[in-house]
Amino acid sequence: MSFKKGLPVKIPFYLAVAIVLAALPMLIRSNYWVGTLNLAIIYSIAVLGLNIILGLTGQLNIAQAAFWGIGAYTAALLNTRLGWPFWATFLVAPPTAAAFGVILGFPTLKLSGRYLAMATIGFGIIINLILNNWKEFTGGVDGIPGITSPVLGPFRFSTNGSFYYLALACLILAALTQVKIKNSRMGRAFQAIKDNELAAELSGVDTFKYRVVAFALCSAYGGMAGQLFAHRTKYVSAETFFIDMSILFICMLMIGGAGSVAGSIVGACLLTFIPEWLRFLQGPWAMAIFGLAIVVIMIFMPTGLAGLAKSVGSKMAVRLRPESQKEPAELPREASH
Amino acid sequence: MFDITTLAQFLVTGLAMGSVYALVALSFALLYKAVGILNFAVGESVMVPAFIVVILLSVLRLPFLPAYLIIIGVMVFFGAVFHRTVYHPLRGRPFISVLVSTIGASLFLRNTSLLVFGADPRVSPALFQVQSVNFFGVFVPPQYLLIITTLIILVVFQYWLFEKTLLGKKMQATAQDRDMARLLGIPVDTIILITFIYAAILGGIAGILLAPIFYVTSDMGFMFALKAFASSIAGGLGSIPGAIVGGLFIGVVELFCAAYISATYRDVFAFIILIAVLLLRPQGFFGEKVSEKV
Repeated sequence: MSFKKGLPVKIPFYLAVAIVLAALPMLIRSNYWVGTLNLAIIYSIAVLGLNIILGLTGQLNIAQAAFWGIGAYTAALLNTRLGWPFWATFLVAPPTAAAFGVILGFPTLKLSGRYLAMATIGFGIIINLILNNWKEFTGGVDGIPGITSPVLGPFRFSTNGSFYYLALACLILAALTQVKIKNSRMGRAFQAIKDNELAAELSGVDTFKYRVVAFALCSAYGGMAGQLFAHRTKYVSAETFFIDMSILFICMLMIGGAGSVAGSIVGACLLTFIPEWLRFLQGPWAMAIFGLAIVVIMIFMPTGLAGLAKSVGSKMAVRLRPESQKEPAELPREASH
Repeated sequence: MFDITTLAQFLVTGLAMGSVYALVALSFALLYKAVGILNFAVGESVMVPAFIVVILLSVLRLPFLPAYLIIIGVMVFFGAVFHRTVYHPLRGRPFISVLVSTIGASLFLRNTSLLVFGADPRVSPALFQVQSVNFFGVFVPPQYLLIITTLIILVVFQYWLFEKTLLGKKMQATAQDRDMARLLGIPVDTIILITFIYAAILGGIAGILLAPIFYVTSDMGFMFALKAFASSIAGGLGSIPGAIVGGLFIGVVELFCAAYISATYRDVFAFIILIAVLLLRPQGFFGEKVSEKV
């Protein structure tokens, strides 16, 4: 609500953010970094999905990479086999992933906490093994090449620079939807489940229904991210969607700050760019430091960056939330110098 | 395909693999039971000692016994450091925070091992000279027998530890109710530290047993962690006998499914079992009642 009330005052600010975001590919110039930025945006969408289930509802899902993969393979198969364009797969991939989310959610959501976490691990592994081994359908280890770029009238989003705008639009859509969800009756139901499931049930919240809905939304975001990913890289293969990506998504969310929209995006961008910046250290060094950093961050910043911002001052935190689209823009500038 | 000898052959191989899973699952279940954490670095506590055993035996050419003793020493240190850095500062926080912290530790250990030991898969020298022992037509590699025997000895040892010693009783009391244990004068932090060390030693033993029959690579830990998850779910999360039976069960079922159904989907079966158990009997074979442990 504060977001809407604050809007008129902040119009110049939003304008400035919009200009920076629009000019970003020109500012960065390096094709490689714009590509990384696109990837960060795609990860942000998947992490936003995870935020619904983990951040808002307090349930752990270690299968987000599987939903991401389901979205990507849905897009890839429809595009290469049936010739569906980007916009058609855009409409189909998120619901398909959501359907899988419900399939997983219905039987397993009766389980609590750690059991659910284990069930999602199993689900993620099984999906990945199917993608990897069902050669006739998914192309097996060779994956699916030849996915086409999105086309809108005369525009073709085939370069990193042009795809950036499309991905950014999707991220803004995803983030705004999530702000809406968070402040709705549904969002409060999620929050109630997170805080105390029994109390929520007693106050008349249909906890089972809302847990399934949260799961479906989470996987729909994952599917959306997957669909974008498929059309960006024009090639999908199962190894991308392995469980370590699910784990990385969780780390992104926890470091950004579970429950926060801005935190999800900042976390996703940071954990996309940090390994790139550490690349000069060569492979294993970067990942070893990265692992150590995760432990240190969990110890010293238990609520993530968003929590840190909140503790600086609750006023700052209120301002940060609507700025959610600004954050990814700031990182590459640091990167480019 | 279905004659008794072949079946027995598969059964022994499955039991040997299952014994290793059982050890890892035991390490995982102990920590779950004691402090309620899901330890994602459990596979690394198998991989690190497996690598060190390869180095000690094939590079430094130490005899077996000193090498194995060194590994146990290393794992005591490993468990203590793991407890102090990964768990202790985060005690009392939501389990997801600790889980992410163990993920960080797992990444760190995996990549540090890659740096130190390199990317080539290694196998340690065999402990036994003979390839296999003939048991009424069933050829059993002695290493498999060693693995199964070790598991049996450890199960007996653990029974003795938990049921007959004061330390074991203190460990159980701490796992059941930490606050009550503290009120009774049990040094809870020390007991948890000892539990971590014991869990690490179990990982070390699994690593030692595996090294001669399994390619040791820096990312082998992950698959073992996943199998340990599946085993402890099948047996009942937090149940000690469950972890052992679950591990053996997963090992045997996996091998038979790979032999008779599909070798490609070999790894799927463990997770199908995992999901099936969660749906039909979430408390597993022996498990505690499924309710959120706070």
